[in-house]
Amino acid sequence: MSKILVFLEQREGVLKQTSVDLWNRVQAFAALSSGSTVTGLIVGPADTRQIGTLFAGTGVVYHASEEPFRSYNQKSSLRLVLELTGMENFSAIYFADSALSRDLAPRLSVSLHASLLSGDLLFDQKGFPDGSVRPVYSGVAMASFAPQQRISIFKLSPSRGSTLRFSGENRVQVMPMKSLQHGIDPLISEVRRIILRENTLDIAEARIIVSGGRGIGSREGFKLLEELAALLGGAVGASRFAVDEGWRPHAEQIGQTGKVVAPELYFACGLSGAAQHLAGIGSAGTVVAINSDPDAPIFQVADYALVGDVHLVLPKLIEAIKEFLKKK
Amino acid sequence: MNIAVCLCQVPDSASVIGFADGVLDRSRINEVMNPYDEYALEEAVRIKERIEGSSVTVFCVARFSAQDMLRKALALGSDRAVLVSSASEPSDPYQTALYLSRALLEFYSGDMPDLVFCGKQATDFQHAEVPAMLGALLDIPSVSGVTALHLDGGQLSLEREIEGGVEQIELYLPAVLSAEKGLNQPRKTNIKAVMEARKKTIESMTVSVEVAPLVLMTGIVPLKREKVCRFVRDEKELVTLLGMAGSFF
Repeated sequence: MSKILVFLEQREGVLKQTSVDLWNRVQAFAALSSGSTVTGLIVGPADTRQIGTLFAGTGVVYHASEEPFRSYNQKSSLRLVLELTGMENFSAIYFADSALSRDLAPRLSVSLHASLLSGDLLFDQKGFPDGSVRPVYSGVAMASFAPQQRISIFKLSPSRGSTLRFSGENRVQVMPMKSLQHGIDPLISEVRRIILRENTLDIAEARIIVSGGRGIGSREGFKLLEELAALLGGAVGASRFAVDEGWRPHAEQIGQTGKVVAPELYFACGLSGAAQHLAGIGSAGTVVAINSDPDAPIFQVADYALVGDVHLVLPKLIEAIKEFLKKK
Repeated sequence: MNIAVCLCQVPDSASVIGFADGVLDRSRINEVMNPYDEYALEEAVRIKERIEGSSVTVFCVARFSAQDMLRKALALGSDRAVLVSSASEPSDPYQTALYLSRALLEFYSGDMPDLVFCGKQATDFQHAEVPAMLGALLDIPSVSGVTALHLDGGQLSLEREIEGGVEQIELYLPAVLSAEKGLNQPRKTNIKAVMEARKKTIESMTVSVEVAPLVLMTGIVPLKREKVCRFVRDEKELVTLLGMAGSFF
């Protein structure tokens, strides 16, 4: 048995999809061990009605809903997690990998003298997490890590592992988080403004990603990828080369120096598949590679391959998908 | 203004990462300055050049000889370079952060540097944890993955990338900042600076830390990810197969 905390991120009052997924993943293995409890924490005002329709399993979600918590504040978030941990005596704390958790989790690790583990979970024989595994050295190797302290903090990459599905019945209770100290902490650091890119789905949360590399050839070349992504309700990703060339923003970079993604479907267009890039798509579901070089390493990790010039293939592919959708 | 920069070494991109009996084969590895640390050092030097009376000192907890890298840091504009060593090598990010915090406290005699820069992460183990842990140990704020920086008096305006956008942050010094790609374009060394750096002394410091690591690496194996790839004739066949494989569209 163990007491588990799941940190649930909100952005502009909406719970992040990665946090919903995280809750349901944790519920899947918590259900295996009798007496385990799962507790959630939301920092900042958020629409908690989603919990009644998306959150599987049972548990309590504490909600620190005061307006000053709307933007991320390192000190306030840390204080709330520490207060709740003091009350509930958690043995494991889960975060979805994000800009916020990369900022917060290491500090929490020092404050609680807790083991911080990142990547994907490793499980013991009973199906309970006992470590983590993730790519190292630019994705040429996998390293496994084990906790050495009583409390573990897990910062999980998006994954397609087992999750508990919402049963149709809400058994998760939302409780107000009454902080011992009111309001946010004195201004030491403060997020003043968040500038969101318009109409773009973040690659970390996308079900489908259309990614391009050197073979796309130019900034304009990515228009075709944008068209395909829009058609499928997906997001555009890019290799390091494409980002270094200025064709795409760094936020879209996938791989060792970019993001780790786990879409259900991944299109690799004009992308050779360097180890550094592959390090970012290890958890992708179905991989489709389109490349003119039949020996490109990307084909070794692809499920489906089409050898050809990406500039000629993509328009035909877009037409073929439109055709398919019409018939459906 | 006192600025500290924490550096580490990683295998360069031409190094062959191979394993013998589950241990990294070091024979074909050439260690260089971690690429993210170059952005950190560059930003520190730029602030020094703007604010009179500033001083930049680089610190490295070295697993292997880091003399060449520290000389390079001096040539790139650092005033002093300190090699931090201890009886045992740090085995996890927490120990590394702890060694660095002890070294900084000792070097600055308990008087905190105004700014501590680190790279966002080392490219070998990619933990990305040392900077925020160092902030916690020094009990000062930290901001991870900084992509833009503006310093006005004691107040810093920063930007960092978040999912789907950019966060603008304001904070007061002192602080630990970790540098993300895009923060600046690091300069190259020139011959004159390299010659001058040769004359400088690389200082050394020993710290003793008797604290167990928080995390243990239990194994490392080469990654295999071969799939059976199906080569399709044309776009139509691909769409048909994808239509059968899942509910993608």
